[in-house]
Amino acid sequence: MTDGRFPRTAALVLLASTGLAHAEEPAAVPPEAATDAPTVRRRTSTLAEIYRGPFRSSRLFAMPTADVVGAYVMTVSGEGSLLQQPGALTSAGVLAIGFGDIAQLEYRHTSAISVEGVTAPVPAVGVQLAIPLPRRPGIPAFGVAFRLGVPRDEQIDAFELEEKVTDLYLVARWRGGAAGWLTLHGGTRVSSASLTVTDAMGLAIGTVEKRLVLPTGGLELQMNDEAKLVAEAGLAPRFMWMPGADPAIGYGLLARLGLRWSVLPSVIFDGSIGYQQEVGTVEPPAGRGGIVQWDIRLGAEVFVPWGALACRATGAFCD
Amino acid sequence: MKQLGRSLMLVVATTAVARAQPQPDVPTLPPDPGGAPAAPGTDPTADPQPGDPPTVQADPPVAPPEAPYDPYPAPSASVPDEPPRPPINMPEVLTTPTGFLLPAAVFYTKFGLDTGGGATFDSRIGLGDVAEFGVATTDAIRQRQDDSDEDSDRIQPYFTASFRLGVGEDRLFKHQPAVALGFRKSFETKSEGYESRIAELTLVASKHFGDKFAMHVGGAFWDASLAGQLDSGDDVEDRSITFHDVATPKDQFRPFGGIQARPLPRSLILIDLGWAPEFCYQCATDARKIRLRPVLSWGVRYEVASWMRIESGVRVPDIGDANLLNAQIFGQVSFTSWGLRRAIDRAKQ
Repeated sequence: MTDGRFPRTAALVLLASTGLAHAEEPAAVPPEAATDAPTVRRRTSTLAEIYRGPFRSSRLFAMPTADVVGAYVMTVSGEGSLLQQPGALTSAGVLAIGFGDIAQLEYRHTSAISVEGVTAPVPAVGVQLAIPLPRRPGIPAFGVAFRLGVPRDEQIDAFELEEKVTDLYLVARWRGGAAGWLTLHGGTRVSSASLTVTDAMGLAIGTVEKRLVLPTGGLELQMNDEAKLVAEAGLAPRFMWMPGADPAIGYGLLARLGLRWSVLPSVIFDGSIGYQQEVGTVEPPAGRGGIVQWDIRLGAEVFVPWGALACRATGAFCD
Repeated sequence: MKQLGRSLMLVVATTAVARAQPQPDVPTLPPDPGGAPAAPGTDPTADPQPGDPPTVQADPPVAPPEAPYDPYPAPSASVPDEPPRPPINMPEVLTTPTGFLLPAAVFYTKFGLDTGGGATFDSRIGLGDVAEFGVATTDAIRQRQDDSDEDSDRIQPYFTASFRLGVGEDRLFKHQPAVALGFRKSFETKSEGYESRIAELTLVASKHFGDKFAMHVGGAFWDASLAGQLDSGDDVEDRSITFHDVATPKDQFRPFGGIQARPLPRSLILIDLGWAPEFCYQCATDARKIRLRPVLSWGVRYEVASWMRIESGVRVPDIGDANLLNAQIFGQVSFTSWGLRRAIDRAKQ
């Protein structure tokens, strides 16, 4: 990517997975209308009926999609990697709650690359909207996500670094009409990133702010009724600083290839291989052979149909 | 450690031999207490008295031929029906990966010991029938001090995590081999003052030919990092190198593969050829500090039960030098479990 080309290794992985799944016999994918049907909230519903769903995720791995979790539903997500930085568990999480049928409020960690070179989750609060257009097979759906950055502190020697990223995502989702096993996602992430460095006395050494336009995209391949292969790639802000130098903000490529497995209708397990390459940085790139910097990330997303639970328990929020 | 290894291998071998024996003869039924009525006026439980007429011992009742006594009764029909579980194809030949993935929510655990004092552990779980995650310790990574050091030692325990995804055999079209793309990476390991890591990206295809033969062919792309005092002499500073910096992509790539044959219903003969990194801390050039060594293994796998398998064989850590003196005899036992899958299936109902 440093020479203007997409990394060949990542491209081969994506192409290979696409080719494999292209020949896949169509899995039994529920029609879009069915996946959009919310859980019915009745006082007489059993817990098994409540947790049977259907539930709808509003993200791939890190990228938002043109969906929201839905009204009266909350999701809790978490993921972590033990391998990216030796001895350190990097993790990220999302707490999202449906706000009507077209919006959700969330507290999440948005992706960025920290000064220490790891994919560091930067906290953010946000709102995500599914643009209410008529949904027909073959017609893309659109969504907007705004994530207001919350400062993240990083300590290097006696220096304090404050990183902050505010994002605006514009995303589209296209689900193959007849070939329901393929879903494509694409969009643009407009990021305003800032990095402030202060010394041990609290004096500011340097501050930098930068607005970045970062393309992002992904695809989902329905492999069977419960599992999807997911590939996602996008640019992310990268913070750079070393003692004696001015802070700077560049960008790096983050890519993930893995699966999302609905262990239960209300529990999705995530597993993926992560790829990271710095773009336009002062550090030498790892190159195409540098797979020792890749990592394995595991996570899960749990849906809590709080409206249906409250209805069953107290009679509130019932249909 | 060697004694422990020998003891474990003995126990495992004994278990296998015992499990392989035919079932014992069907024992005769005990006398039916209600089947032979006592003579009127006599206490059937009383001891015989002198002068009593000799009693004729009634023949014990014979069970009807259509209902023989079964010492290993089948599970009661009242047990809830469970879908038949297919046989599990193993994710490894002996040391190299196969294209087969574990079924969803199936656990796989393997323990291994060898005569060189190596101990390994491998635990995996199938994810959604299309992926697999595992953590393991390996004893295949080796270290040497310098160019004059002819014998390499193993670094252990060397902890790794792996993630593989792919498609099963015949899933896309008839005669399509199982294909798996895997990534394995180690946690940073410190040995003799040096920190090292390895990573391996594999693509492997596996194909059954009939019921008794299968072949595995793949390629691995290796990377590694090494940090510490890599130069000899005084006043040298610690530094780090990576395999992708000191080698070409061609040097990082290695083909691997294996074959398996099933001469008997429960026994397999396995042969595989793989590769493992070797670190040489004080070798003269950086290119010699991280190298890949071929490892040849052959052995047998006996399926003790649907949930347990034992393996034994020979592993030559550096077949490139044809040095059989370093060959090791190993024993491995692996277990598989559908327990989590059953729990998930029940939770879905």
